[in-house]
Amino acid sequence: MRGVLARHWGALVLFGLTALTPLVVKDAFFLDSLVLILIWGALSAAWNLAGGYAGQVSLGHSAFFGIGAYSAALLATRWQQSPWLGMLLGVLVSVAAGAVIGYLSNRLRGPYFALSTIAFSQVLLIVASRWRGFTQGSEGIPVPFRPGFWTLGLGHVAWVYVALGLALVHYGVQVYFERSRVGYQLAGVREDEDAAEALGIASRKLRVFAVTLSAALTSVCGAFWAQYVGFVDPFYVFSVDLSIRFALNTIIGGVGTALGPFLGSILITSLETYLRATFAGVKTGFTGIYLIIYGCVLILVVRFVPEGLAGLAARLRAGVARSRERATDHAHA
Amino acid sequence: MLTLERVTKRFGGLTAVREVSLEVRAGDLLGIIGPNGAGKTTLFNVIAGYYRPEEGRVLFDGRDVTGLPPHAICRQGLTRTFQIVKPFGNLSVLDNVTIGSLTKVTRLRTARVDAERVVETCGLAPYARARARALPIGLRKRLEVARALATRPRLLLLDEVMAGLNPSELAGMVELIRRLHGEGLTLIVIEHIMAAMMRLARRIVVLHHGERIAEGTPAQIASDRRVIDAYLGEEFVLAEA
Amino acid sequence: MDPARLLGPAQIDALAQLGVSTILLGGIYALIAVGLTLIFGIMRVVNFAHGEFLMLGMYLAFWSFTLYGLDPYFVLFVSIPLFFLVGLLTYALVMRGVITASHNAQIFTTVGLSTALQNVALVAWTGDFRFVRPWHSSVVLRIAGTAFNLAQVVAFAIAVALTVALFAFMKWTHTGRVMRATAQDRDAATLMGIATDRVYRLTWAIGIACVGAAGVLVAPLYSVYPTAGLQFVLLSYVVVVLGGLGDMVGALLGSLIVAAVEVVGSYFFGTAWKEVLYFVLFIAVLVFRPAGLFGQRGAEMLGA
Repeated sequence: MRGVLARHWGALVLFGLTALTPLVVKDAFFLDSLVLILIWGALSAAWNLAGGYAGQVSLGHSAFFGIGAYSAALLATRWQQSPWLGMLLGVLVSVAAGAVIGYLSNRLRGPYFALSTIAFSQVLLIVASRWRGFTQGSEGIPVPFRPGFWTLGLGHVAWVYVALGLALVHYGVQVYFERSRVGYQLAGVREDEDAAEALGIASRKLRVFAVTLSAALTSVCGAFWAQYVGFVDPFYVFSVDLSIRFALNTIIGGVGTALGPFLGSILITSLETYLRATFAGVKTGFTGIYLIIYGCVLILVVRFVPEGLAGLAARLRAGVARSRERATDHAHA
Repeated sequence: MLTLERVTKRFGGLTAVREVSLEVRAGDLLGIIGPNGAGKTTLFNVIAGYYRPEEGRVLFDGRDVTGLPPHAICRQGLTRTFQIVKPFGNLSVLDNVTIGSLTKVTRLRTARVDAERVVETCGLAPYARARARALPIGLRKRLEVARALATRPRLLLLDEVMAGLNPSELAGMVELIRRLHGEGLTLIVIEHIMAAMMRLARRIVVLHHGERIAEGTPAQIASDRRVIDAYLGEEFVLAEA
Repeated sequence: MDPARLLGPAQIDALAQLGVSTILLGGIYALIAVGLTLIFGIMRVVNFAHGEFLMLGMYLAFWSFTLYGLDPYFVLFVSIPLFFLVGLLTYALVMRGVITASHNAQIFTTVGLSTALQNVALVAWTGDFRFVRPWHSSVVLRIAGTAFNLAQVVAFAIAVALTVALFAFMKWTHTGRVMRATAQDRDAATLMGIATDRVYRLTWAIGIACVGAAGVLVAPLYSVYPTAGLQFVLLSYVVVVLGGLGDMVGALLGSLIVAAVEVVGSYFFGTAWKEVLYFVLFIAVLVFRPAGLFGQRGAEMLGA
């Protein structure tokens, strides 16, 4: 129990505070930001499974996000079904697509893999925006608000708890990737595939598993997001910018750490909200300005803080521990 | 335990291993020597499943393992180390070995205990928490052996685990290999350091241009004309005499 | 201005037209891809911001034409030194720090650069589609039953000239040989006393100068907007991968193949779905011929 506390105090504080917030704060704008932070964090956590833990950097994860969003939206509008069913459908489709991408990740490494994932999300974008009869093409799909839990027509407070649940599940999956047999073996595959094979690890199967799970969880978030925001626009949900954003949150927070994606999401989403408020008057320039900042932040973080916020904290802690050790060594000598 | 039947491996026009047959019995400690480019590492890669041979078969415990992926072969009890060491650089020594243990032990906690024992056996205990990347080459070679041992192999292929070691590290490694062999592990060892090889191996196979040119006890090998011409050279014979 | 749209009336000999369109479109793609293959081949850096430099070149042509009435073919001569400088600058500020870092670090850095540049353009010049239409952009040549655009012919000629010039530079000059040596083995080159940092800086700057010039040249053929580069960057990678990494002549051949797929694909399926064809082709090439159709070297290094 003490070990759990020591390892996850950051998450406990973070998620604990989030759970308490709606009891105190009733401001819709603030709660809305909180929901978005949690959903973006969960999305980045899902990306982290492939990009961080498995070391397969995807720049086309918006494909799975879009699959989830479209599944929920189409099922709700065309067949009046629950978004929960849409989510299930999205997961099934994403598992199939994720397995294909996972297979590609075995044949293509590094930049090649990233390029092929972009191509994949672009194909889906073209299909979604051109297939008028089914997806309503480039006009997008408005998702109706139907009150109730089964239809996910919820108020802000309820949404905070739904999003918190989502975030906790994704955090939990990441922790599983850190502290389980699969997680250790995956770390081996990420570090050196040949060596991992020599130790009896089925590296290819494991990589497909990680990418597929990452795809499925991304698609779950997509379904929630569609219902929360109420509109699915193909040019947004399948965009490369969105994929980059999943990666960006994770990199800033700390690649391959469970808390990192959430830390990154807090920082980036707050920044966006702040800039949105500041530049509310400047209509066209706004998106551009915060994306310029994203781009620069990404370059700077990769260059100067490659381990991200979470890694930085760990480094500082290790530094303190080491200097303490040194102090005791001196005392003994 | 291990049988190679006329194994041939080609790369384009180059034949790296040509019709090599080999028989390793349980409890053997077989040495493989030969000049650079003789096909020693390629042979290991074929046995351990990294390359599929164009011709011939690899039998392990009577079962045909030709063309199986490395991880499947490892799970049957045959694994290898790499000449150019491949540590999981960003992980601790203990985590490196734990990943090996997890092949036979499913529970993480049990695997860690098991890994601690292996780390101890290989004399890496003082470095258990160090990042593998930070180790000097001598210890990285040891880690290579420790990680392979953690998978509890019955047959272990060691690819130049003594290269680049200083004399005291070398003595330690020889001692470790002897001890493992004493405990019943079957080993095939590739090595360039002839003095160590002569003391260690019961039987030596000599490869030259991908072909097996000689096999015998260290004494027989040292006096074999073809081996001297191809590899050892006159100085070696004089020095040994 | 879709080249496939030139395929019109049935009286034109369709096959000859397809052939001509393919060659001319291939020239444009080669022009864009040649700088990329240089950077890719020598620095082993996948430059995700390549399309953005193309976009900047297009804007340079647009503003020079709109504000000062300068013809793109004149601007071309200004653009080469200008983008060479832009290359030196971005190398010093952005690329230098990650040149020895992991592939992932390089991916994120160039993605960051791409995002920043795209949005600088958006903020500065809005998202409107802009057009550069000098007098010669509407000149259509008709020869033996085929019709083609003069601007495409010029772009094609310059693409060939540029490829030949770069090829000669790499093959016969001392600097070119040093660059190839560095590409083959970075560590060995360092040991031989080659200042690899200087080689990379030069490679990057030349690559950016090429793509900037390409942007100026293609501006009269396409519309100019902040994300104009995206549609070309993936395409350029198809070309580069098809042709083999860092292989100039391969890039030229790869461009022709991609152009053929596009022209023939548009002819049969309509232009709306041609992008799907690229991307499927792209993934197929990556999966089945990662070392390129003609080359072998280099793919393994990158795959590691």
